[in-house]
Amino acid sequence: MGLDLQSLLNPGGQPLFTPPAFPAPGASVSGAPLTDTHGTTVIAVKYDGGVINVGDRRATANFAVMYDRAEKVMPLDDYTLLSISGSYARAMEVIRYLRTVFKYFERSQLQPMSLDGKLSELAKVIAAGVPAAMQGIGGFIPIFSTFDMRTGQPRIFFYDGLGARFESTEFGAAGSGSLQIRGIFDYIVKTKGPFHRMSREDALREALILLDIAADLDAATGGWSKHLPLAKTISAEGITDVSEQELREVVNSIDRMAG
Amino acid sequence: MMFSPFDSNEAAQHRRDYVEDRLSEGSPVVGISFDAGLLLLTVRKAQRKVFEIYDRLIFSGIGNQSDIEAIRVGAIDVAHKEGYERSPDDVTAQRIVSFSLSPPLKRLFGDQFNALPAVVRAIFGELGETPAEDSFYVLNYDGEFALYNGFAVIAGTSEAEDRMGLWMVGVTPEITREQALERALQAWAVGAMTGKRRKIGKDEDEPDPLRDIDEAEQIAGFLREELKTAQLEVGLLERFSTRESKFRLLSSADLESLLKSYR
Repeated sequence: MGLDLQSLLNPGGQPLFTPPAFPAPGASVSGAPLTDTHGTTVIAVKYDGGVINVGDRRATANFAVMYDRAEKVMPLDDYTLLSISGSYARAMEVIRYLRTVFKYFERSQLQPMSLDGKLSELAKVIAAGVPAAMQGIGGFIPIFSTFDMRTGQPRIFFYDGLGARFESTEFGAAGSGSLQIRGIFDYIVKTKGPFHRMSREDALREALILLDIAADLDAATGGWSKHLPLAKTISAEGITDVSEQELREVVNSIDRMAG
Repeated sequence: MMFSPFDSNEAAQHRRDYVEDRLSEGSPVVGISFDAGLLLLTVRKAQRKVFEIYDRLIFSGIGNQSDIEAIRVGAIDVAHKEGYERSPDDVTAQRIVSFSLSPPLKRLFGDQFNALPAVVRAIFGELGETPAEDSFYVLNYDGEFALYNGFAVIAGTSEAEDRMGLWMVGVTPEITREQALERALQAWAVGAMTGKRRKIGKDEDEPDPLRDIDEAEQIAGFLREELKTAQLEVGLLERFSTRESKFRLLSSADLESLLKSYR
């Protein structure tokens, strides 16, 4: 059997990436006294032509505020955002993994991974962390927002802790503050109409009001007195950061309304 | 049966001749760095030739299609594994070329019991923070590699590469994208014309009816003819892009202003 270039370059012929298990294989988490740092509230809403993701900046461990400049809305590629709640360590690892495998697939196969392929990849990494999550560490719940180039529509998907995937027509929320504000989304849709018909500005305002209420009702969700929330949009042009100036204007006007 | 004493020099030379012969008709590739990025340019008849390897790495090659593909995928594998396990900042052309790709190529070429060496000549472009930090690596079928700054070329013969190099002399990083494209396309034509001439078997000393014509004229005429049947391909790494991916292939709309003078 002669040498060939391919086998010299990848001697094992092994697949390069497998979903990272958590904790590392062989490690035991039984009786772990450790608490992991959690990200709290993230919200995704559609608007006419795109989707907005907003997140507060607080990360907590039990009753301690660990960090007040946490970023919980992260780009996975040019058209996909992952907004994360729950274990910060695990979520960051998952984001690193997904960014790598999406890019790896596109560069090596010379075509982008399909939307369905990306959603399954996310389900797989959530499932890989389930044993630890059942013992209380490493659990996290993401919201996956994207702009579907095939249909020309924004899409929002949310997951449960085992990796089940659901598509939402209008909005998604995750994290400790999301329960308290759940009904408000429906109230907004029933009184002001669906989010996907709102202008970007209106939808941003509603999302920030929702985040403000979550911060009022949930101790783990940070308000904006110290640092502005983070907001990003996805449209046919890709991902755009909502500027600090625009955020400040909306936030100030919401504060004024509350008197 | 007669055995002649084994001469490793001769054996290596046979293999070299075999590879060089197959490389000789490859369409040249020109790499050039400029203010807003770095590009690889070539003209192709069939398959795509310029590829993204990693966030700041771009690649093209000439030779056997499956060998080019093995190098491309090998580089992508190493880059992504390292970028994931350590950091994207640790993924550099220098590490990939000198530690990951060069040794297996050398082994394959030097293995006298192996039927065929790889037929490939590859160029890697690496985008830095500034044009001064851009670099190009040219990697050969025998594992030899060389580092260049500013610009680099690969072609089927060293004569074509030399002429292209001469055409590119004086390129400075201050040039714009349009100027870089124009210069690179002309350098491609210089290389491709040299290759063609070699194929026809024309010698420099033979009378050539084209010789009296101005060189620029000659290049323009050659390009007009070539671009009727072949397609210009340009892969770009954009230095100041805010997108996740800095790489893109230039579209026909992007290339329109360059191409319209060759119709």
